[in-house]
Amino acid sequence: MRNRSIRFENITKRYHGDLVLDKLSLEIPSGTFFALLGPSGSGKTTLLRLIAGLEQADSGNIFLGHQNITHMPIYQRRVNTVFQNYALFPHMNVFENVAYSLSLKNVPQKTIQEKVTKILTIVGLEKHMYKSIQNLSGGQKQRVALARAVINEPDVLLLDEPLAALDLKMREKMLIELIDLQDNLQTTFVYVTHDQFEALTVADYMAIMNHDGEIEQVGTPKEIYEFPISTFVAAFVGTTNLFKGVLHMRSDHCRIEFVGLGMFEVVCSQEKEWLRDGNTIFMSLRPEKIDISKTPLTGFSNALEGIVQSIVYHGRSTQYNVRLKNNEIVQVFEQNEEHFPQETIDYDDPVFLYWQKENVVLLEK
Amino acid sequence: MKIKETINTFIAENTSFIFSVPAVLWQLLFLYVPLFLVLYTSFKRAADSNWLDLTFDHYRTVLGSSYFFIIGRSVCIAAGVAFLCLLCAYPVAYFLALKVNRRWKNVLLFLLTLPFWTNFLIQIYSWVFVLDQNGLINMMLLKLDIIKEPLHMINNTAAIFFVMLYYYLPFMIMPLYSILEKIQYELLEASMDLGATHWQTFKRITLTLSMAGIKTGVFLVFVPAFGEFAIPAIIGGGHHLFVGSLISHYFLIARDDQLGAAFTMISGLVLLICALFFNWFCTVPLQKTQKESA
Repeated sequence: MRNRSIRFENITKRYHGDLVLDKLSLEIPSGTFFALLGPSGSGKTTLLRLIAGLEQADSGNIFLGHQNITHMPIYQRRVNTVFQNYALFPHMNVFENVAYSLSLKNVPQKTIQEKVTKILTIVGLEKHMYKSIQNLSGGQKQRVALARAVINEPDVLLLDEPLAALDLKMREKMLIELIDLQDNLQTTFVYVTHDQFEALTVADYMAIMNHDGEIEQVGTPKEIYEFPISTFVAAFVGTTNLFKGVLHMRSDHCRIEFVGLGMFEVVCSQEKEWLRDGNTIFMSLRPEKIDISKTPLTGFSNALEGIVQSIVYHGRSTQYNVRLKNNEIVQVFEQNEEHFPQETIDYDDPVFLYWQKENVVLLEK
Repeated sequence: MKIKETINTFIAENTSFIFSVPAVLWQLLFLYVPLFLVLYTSFKRAADSNWLDLTFDHYRTVLGSSYFFIIGRSVCIAAGVAFLCLLCAYPVAYFLALKVNRRWKNVLLFLLTLPFWTNFLIQIYSWVFVLDQNGLINMMLLKLDIIKEPLHMINNTAAIFFVMLYYYLPFMIMPLYSILEKIQYELLEASMDLGATHWQTFKRITLTLSMAGIKTGVFLVFVPAFGEFAIPAIIGGGHHLFVGSLISHYFLIARDDQLGAAFTMISGLVLLICALFFNWFCTVPLQKTQKESA
């Protein structure tokens, strides 16, 4: 099995003097579906373009497997890209677009025909082989772009926000197809997106980039979501409630104090140097980890009281925005499990919020 | 009331037709009618003959005369000018459209149109002062002792060719620029990403996508260059006959309207054949070679 990992070593990249990436290092494991998630301007697309060879790093090295590809010309890299706006050649039909990379080499016409037919069958476009690009729907264009990029069996497939132009249903469908395709090809997929839902859905591993072009965290989607290592990651991936408070560590228990709200139980078993008595730290509490009730409940390690400020109905869940005593707002998601719930919560209702101390994450910054 | 309504609906339903009436009338009056008059004149035996006394004689005279080769020469020169214009203009347009940033682009485009702010004749005459025996170039070369005798740079076909090239270059750059500017840079990146070298990308993507601009540019240069009259007259000193100068000779000097009209019709026909051939060449054989290489 070929080594199709990608390694960035101290990559620095400037645009017109602006530092986009500063001594960035990252390893993308071979044969994985890897998502680069970050806000606009975080340099994730730049990272992708560096792999493709569409940009040159100012310093540092990029390895594909054991090969240093930092200065390899773009057309020699065994890397192909699915561009954000597809970048299909308007003067060629579907077949010619897909056959483009093969036609550049001295591949016999018969082989081209076979390969293109095969790949178009995989993406479900065999009936549209000789259609002009202009007559395709957004989803079909997406498939052509995909077929064109994988026909050469690249070591790495780069996807630059490939689903941004599609509607939600189509996007969900394409995500599943992408996962299947990656399973079949065993190519390393690098998927750039600012959409956390897409990243969580497709990725084996993901890297979160912040506004400064730094990698905040690398991990599996579950690790990233459940155990973010910074408030940035916690807030960027999914929705969360962030509290700032002072830590009180005793030999037998650990609590955090929020101004105007009191003390709350937390778990401080991690060996972190910032987990020290008297330190000001953050607590991330995901909305779905909170139980909301109009009547007091037992069996929870923590409870808060508040008034329902607003209610947003999402279909599968309902979001309650609850105002606390210190005027902070806490978001709570409740699954809509029943058609006729026993208690209905309304605006201005006083409610209790409950959560278990194991379900929060403590963060240094 | 009813009449007003009818008129209103007629206007509403035929807006585009009504708006096109002035242009159509203009074309009819000042293009098709004169063209027909030329056609009619070319068949008329003599200026004072009966209006139904038609003949092919003038065509026979023109086709038999030594002037006929002038049409061929005009075609060659116009084609040469168009081709050289294309060669010179393409890199400029490419650079302007794809490599220069926004701010400089506007400045450079402005500079490109600057010659048009000067009258056409002044532009052409100024070349006389540059190329003349006592002109700027000869003066400088003599002063610098590079030559002993002034060079003959004017009153020859090469000078005509050169000045035509100068004058028609912007007409080629503009359509090329406007079409190249529409090419998404992403397409070139995609091509390279798929393994095409710079040259392959240029050939398969840029050049093919700019074909429409090439066509427009070649027509914009070839057609007026074919009938060019002022440049050969001024730069060529009137010794080098072109279609344009010959037509004016027939009508204004020889005063033989019938022969002039026949010559005009024949040269028009040649132009039409050239245009059709070029159009066919751009769509059929060129695309075929591209398909084969693709």
